[in-house]
Amino acid sequence: MGFFDYLVSNRERVLTLALEHLVIVLEALAIGTVIGLLLGVLTARRPRLRGVVLGVAGLILTVPSFALFSLLFGFIGKLGAAVVLPGLVAYSLLPIIRNTVTGLLSVDPAVVEAAKGVGMGPVRRLLRIELPLAWPIVLTGVRVSAVLLVGIAALGTLVRGPGLGELIFSGLRLIGSPNATNLALAGTLGVLVLAVLLDVGFLVISRLTTSKGIR
Amino acid sequence: MIGLEGLTKRYPGQSEPAVDALDLAVPEGEIVVLVGPSGCGKTTTMKMINRIIEPTSGIIRLQGEDVTRTPPDDLRRRIGYVIQQVGLFPHMTIAENVAVVPKLLKWKNDRTRSRVDEMLELVGMDPGTYRDRHPKELSGGQRQRIGVARALAADPPVMLMDEPFGAVDPIAREKLQNEFLRLQEDIKKTIVFVTHDIDEAIKMGDRIVVLGDRSVIKQYDTPERILSDPAYDFVAEFIGAGASLKRLGLARVRDFALADWPVSSIADGREAALKALAAAGAESVLLLDEQRRPVRWAARSDLSRSGASLERLGTPVTVVQPQATLAGALDSMVSSRVGAVVVVDGRGAYTGTVDMGVIMQAAETMRDAARQNATAQLDPEQGAELERELDGGEAEGPGGSTGGAPDTTVPRR
Repeated sequence: MGFFDYLVSNRERVLTLALEHLVIVLEALAIGTVIGLLLGVLTARRPRLRGVVLGVAGLILTVPSFALFSLLFGFIGKLGAAVVLPGLVAYSLLPIIRNTVTGLLSVDPAVVEAAKGVGMGPVRRLLRIELPLAWPIVLTGVRVSAVLLVGIAALGTLVRGPGLGELIFSGLRLIGSPNATNLALAGTLGVLVLAVLLDVGFLVISRLTTSKGIR
Repeated sequence: MIGLEGLTKRYPGQSEPAVDALDLAVPEGEIVVLVGPSGCGKTTTMKMINRIIEPTSGIIRLQGEDVTRTPPDDLRRRIGYVIQQVGLFPHMTIAENVAVVPKLLKWKNDRTRSRVDEMLELVGMDPGTYRDRHPKELSGGQRQRIGVARALAADPPVMLMDEPFGAVDPIAREKLQNEFLRLQEDIKKTIVFVTHDIDEAIKMGDRIVVLGDRSVIKQYDTPERILSDPAYDFVAEFIGAGASLKRLGLARVRDFALADWPVSSIADGREAALKALAAAGAESVLLLDEQRRPVRWAARSDLSRSGASLERLGTPVTVVQPQATLAGALDSMVSSRVGAVVVVDGRGAYTGTVDMGVIMQAAETMRDAARQNATAQLDPEQGAELERELDGGEAEGPGGSTGGAPDTTVPRR
């Protein structure tokens, strides 16, 4: 069976797996963004703490995903999304924290002083001035994480996680059989397409949510 | 209006305080300029008034009320704040920038909206054109105007201005200064203005505080007195050479007797112009139109050359308004070929000229007044000494810059 025929006859399975894949990536990304933003905001003006947090987040990223999933499985004692989700969240942190910090530190100090001078308190300053100005950079971090997670999530299937990894690993298991290549190809292409979609999606979101004044 | 009592700022790890027990009273409706060498603590002093920098000790009073411990954000909403880099919020429109303080004070939307338009008009920016633009679409001078509009939006009684015109080019600065002085005549805010530029201090200040190290007040006086009677060598040194020239920047053309110059109406023709020239024994005659507005300077040689019409011959006329400073008039005079600058009234009609004689006369009058002022408070012996000093000082050549508004040249027609 040619690849195209394979896709057509298995489109429902491929689409279901792609959707699962997208969902777990978006879930992880949402949680990661909240945590990353918080950590970024908390550490932006505290260089020592920032060093520690960025160091840890960077360290996580160097752990092979297979190892991390296995470790998490050891702690959590369950398989599936329960293991994959926290793993993905951990991987998403570094770009988000780092870009939040970079974004906040790139806000013109004169603008911050002016905000103080008109009588904005620290919270208002953060929400009305600093975060909106840092936003494009923060969102770039989220975008980088999104693409990163799409790739890593494919490995989640090793701990019975959801998503396109299943196709790739089935292909691997069936090497030599007629459908092995089709399976692997469908999974790989699916991952690629998701990555591109997310990348473009976040670009569009960035355009739509960034003030005209700072584009 | 603003009272600072024993205001002190100590930074940890520094043996000397940055600001040392400063007492200062800023009268209502006046511009008080803090001026001094860099590092003297003038900016720190200003930033303690709205507590961007919290004082280590001392009391800040605003309209009699001790505001040293009120919540800083409430205090800052009552004080307009303009800084050199302006600090407009780049992600907000011009209207949103100006509306910031009214919004913080929870004004109703339509009140805020009409106030924003009022403010934009006040600073000479058409609301329809600029309301929905972003700061990046404006020039440096326009941004500075919006900075002033934002500071004034909630009608605070007090304004703090930290080198507000420092970041724009000299021509725009001159313009912004003049505009702001005109504005201040209407709004009459109590203003503390920081600059390191003594010329700007003299121009902008109703009073000037010359600060030395640790923000110690060396002299607190009117610009006239600071120039004519510097209290310490420190102040004299800071003013620099050319105090007389700087004083010309304080004097207005309208306050002095103007010189007459032969004039002739273009309608009366070439002969009348030549006759006026001969009668006055002057080098050139000023040609006026029917509304007595100056048109051209014509020398004898210009008039005797036939052909060109009276409207075109000779050289263009440089004019100043009566409220121009003598320094401005001098500047235009030096650059005009005739050696005189024409003073016109509000309708553009000729009222007289400023030439070297007028300037010399004015300088002498001011020097005498300053001397009387200074000696009135001293015993005769010191007075005589001071007089000698002043004379010596006057002999020092020019050196400072001349202030004053740029003047317009009557266009060819």
